[in-house]
Amino acid sequence: MLSATDTKLLGFAQTLELTARDLYQFVVGRKSLSGDERQMLTQFHSHHVAYEQTLNGLLGKNSVSKRNDSLYTGFLQKLSETPNVWTALLQIENALVTTHTKSIESIESAKVSALIASIVTIEARHAAILATMTSTNLSLALDNSESVLVVS
Amino acid sequence: MIALTRRELLRLSGASIASGLVLAACGKQAGVIDDNTITIIGKSPVTAPLADVEVTDAVLLRTAASLEYNAIETYTTALESKLLTGDLRKVAEMAKRFMDDHQQHADAVNALAIKLGAKEYRCGNSRINDVYLAPALAIITESENPNSAIDIVALAHAVENLAAQTYQGVVELLSDPMLRADAIRIGQQEARHAALLAQVLNPGLANVGPTSDAKTGKPNIAAVPSEFGSLANIQLTIGKPKPDGSRTTLILETPSLNSLVYDFVACQA
Repeated sequence: MLSATDTKLLGFAQTLELTARDLYQFVVGRKSLSGDERQMLTQFHSHHVAYEQTLNGLLGKNSVSKRNDSLYTGFLQKLSETPNVWTALLQIENALVTTHTKSIESIESAKVSALIASIVTIEARHAAILATMTSTNLSLALDNSESVLVVS
Repeated sequence: MIALTRRELLRLSGASIASGLVLAACGKQAGVIDDNTITIIGKSPVTAPLADVEVTDAVLLRTAASLEYNAIETYTTALESKLLTGDLRKVAEMAKRFMDDHQQHADAVNALAIKLGAKEYRCGNSRINDVYLAPALAIITESENPNSAIDIVALAHAVENLAAQTYQGVVELLSDPMLRADAIRIGQQEARHAALLAQVLNPGLANVGPTSDAKTGKPNIAAVPSEFGSLANIQLTIGKPKPDGSRTTLILETPSLNSLVYDFVACQA
């Protein structure tokens, strides 16, 4: 059974994954994407769906069903402008990596931490690939300067 | 009174003598002093008792540090081999940056180990090297291998996956939540290294996710091979093609009980 702390942290993680899911859903609907781009982004979208559903299963009756609207609106604005799509998606993935990693500092259950860690390593891979869409600069793919997301 | 026949009496006394001999052969007799007069042929081997080891947070951190040095050594070999030329020149640039990252990671995990009262560990994991890396390099650098340049990139990719998986795996084993976060903070960067190398080995957006070889049905290298970070073994296919077209596949696994860097393990000269 999850502790109160873990329930709270996982609930927030689920909110973030729901937000990411909806943002990717918006992006894959864009007509400007090539077939390969759409295929890749559809895959990334499906990963966030899987994370949200896994957290939902763990949280049970304590699960959340709502995305973070202020976060969603902020990113949606960026994603609406074609030149910003890749940069905005990179920002989302890096922010998720930072926030989930920070939450591991406070999660009490080692097993739950391991689950979040298995999400973080894939979101980091997403970020690395998204960075290559705009630049050949290695630092953009490897360094993460995004801050921890907080509840607003 | 129990009446025994002569035959039964003989059988019983025979059994008593036999069991007495067995007991005598099993050990020293009480009150008999060993005066070393019994001759022993050959030398009996001296057995070293196993060290009393414990898998602590410090041991896991020292093991992580050892993998960082394995990675540094792999990139050093790749750069010194002069194989990363032509189209692979960009990998040489990546290798330099990745080496710097691994050195920083090693410094960071060693600092954490020292904080826990353990000694730092500044060399490669000898078992990982002996079992995986050295045999892989021997196959890659074979003179008849036409794929040596790309194979060395494949080895680096496998090592990065090994490092990412190790950090992900130790999250569940570390007792301190802060250390768990520190571990995955490093592990996520190893995963980024692996993703970028995967795109060198199997380029194109269509190959970012999992795909499989049309002929063999085996999974191709992918930058994002699964939904969740895998802890399964890592397959490394390298070397010159065999007559049937197949190549050698090595299976790499994250450090286990026989390859952890325990407190008593010191760097081998």
